[in-house]
Amino acid sequence: MKVIVDYDRCEANAVCMQICPEVFELRDDDTLHILIEEPGESLRGKVMDAVRRCPRQAISVKE
Amino acid sequence: MELADIDLVNPDNWVPGVPHEAFKVLRKHAPVFWQEMPGDDAGFWAITKYEDVVAISKDPLTFSSFKGGTILRDLPEEDLKNTQTIMLNMDPPQHSKYRKLVSQGFTPRMTAALEPRARAATTEILDKVMAQGQCDFVREIAAELPLIVIAELVGVPLEDRHKVFEWSNRLIGFDDPEIEGGAEKGKMAAMEMWLYAHELADKRKDAPRDDFVSLLLNSAVDGEKLTQMEFDSFFLLLAVAGNETTRNLISGGMLALIENPAERQKLLDNPALLPTAVEEMLRWVSPVSQFRRTTTRDTEIRGQKIREGDKVVIYYQSANRDEDIFTDPYKFDVARSPNNHIAFGIGEHFCLGANLARLEIRVMFEEILRRMPDIELAGPVRRLRSNFINGVKEMPVKFTPSRVRAAG
Repeated sequence: MKVIVDYDRCEANAVCMQICPEVFELRDDDTLHILIEEPGESLRGKVMDAVRRCPRQAISVKE
Repeated sequence: MELADIDLVNPDNWVPGVPHEAFKVLRKHAPVFWQEMPGDDAGFWAITKYEDVVAISKDPLTFSSFKGGTILRDLPEEDLKNTQTIMLNMDPPQHSKYRKLVSQGFTPRMTAALEPRARAATTEILDKVMAQGQCDFVREIAAELPLIVIAELVGVPLEDRHKVFEWSNRLIGFDDPEIEGGAEKGKMAAMEMWLYAHELADKRKDAPRDDFVSLLLNSAVDGEKLTQMEFDSFFLLLAVAGNETTRNLISGGMLALIENPAERQKLLDNPALLPTAVEEMLRWVSPVSQFRRTTTRDTEIRGQKIREGDKVVIYYQSANRDEDIFTDPYKFDVARSPNNHIAFGIGEHFCLGANLARLEIRVMFEEILRRMPDIELAGPVRRLRSNFINGVKEMPVKFTPSRVRAAG
């Protein structure tokens, strides 16, 4: 699966980083960085949780 | 309580408190409930389950904020057109463009920079009442900080902030008999605020500053600058949204701590719990009771057919007590974790001020718990008569007076 972020929607709430810091890193300048663009299956649960819980629906996954 | 007894519209039913009994019955027996409205207004589908409130919030193209506005009442055409200039009542793609104009100013990092100012203001607010040993918590403590902070952010001079307080009350509290004038006065308050915004804009055009007014005046959507009306509406939204809601959260949160002394003690014993307690206050109070959407196509929710043009109203307080989501939802638990409440909404219109609100609430309660840990009620609590805002109008409190402490 490939993690996709809509940077127009992202507002640096960092809920994703709280849930899955292996993949999502919010830096001090409020920019979100994807650490692993195609995470392994072991991270699927956390990644999908981040998708659901991002307050701005800014994250999606492409299979 | 029978389904036939349920009336979520009549503001009198909200005076004793949020109608949680009715919500319990609806979640269990009629999660997609047709509620009639008085007079000529169309009835609506009352949505009380967390999952549904989330799904509706995440589908703005089906459940439109623009088509009928986001308040319960059906507005006459001209009023509707006016409200459609406010970002809250827009849909994508228009909404997204407007939101981008201001969203950079509301990230956690940007709002964290306001902490010293928020703390200084909080210290001053508490200093003023300390020697008295008693006060009206709402007017003298809860209302002040959000006004100061949003006034600073938006660019309203401090000496004008009480005008904003008055206008905001009239705009939102229109069902309450003590807030003079009803819907007509609400409209006038909006016009006064628009006029004020206009004058402020004129001043800033001549002398720009590093604040939102100047930002908005220099901004463009699709290459076009904001019209006067769009600017005034933005100003109104920022000034009102940052005021009422946070005030009512602080009052409601204080009441929750007073009514749950064991929970207050947990916080006194372990101040590190405060951010978690703030989330629980948000879940518990949910200052915005509901928002309305209007469908743009036929759809269905839980098997119930919904027609294009139907009104759908999402109840945040009910979602935040959903037994399917929260363990012991009727317990106020300062250590509740996880706490995936939706007091700030979710999706397209997720509260822009969420992080600012969190900052204000945390700082305020840090100071209250530190300086007046024994604060108690000193008289009856009077609630706002409203099916829209979970508000407290007056809350007499008493506390052990301490020596006025210098800011720092």
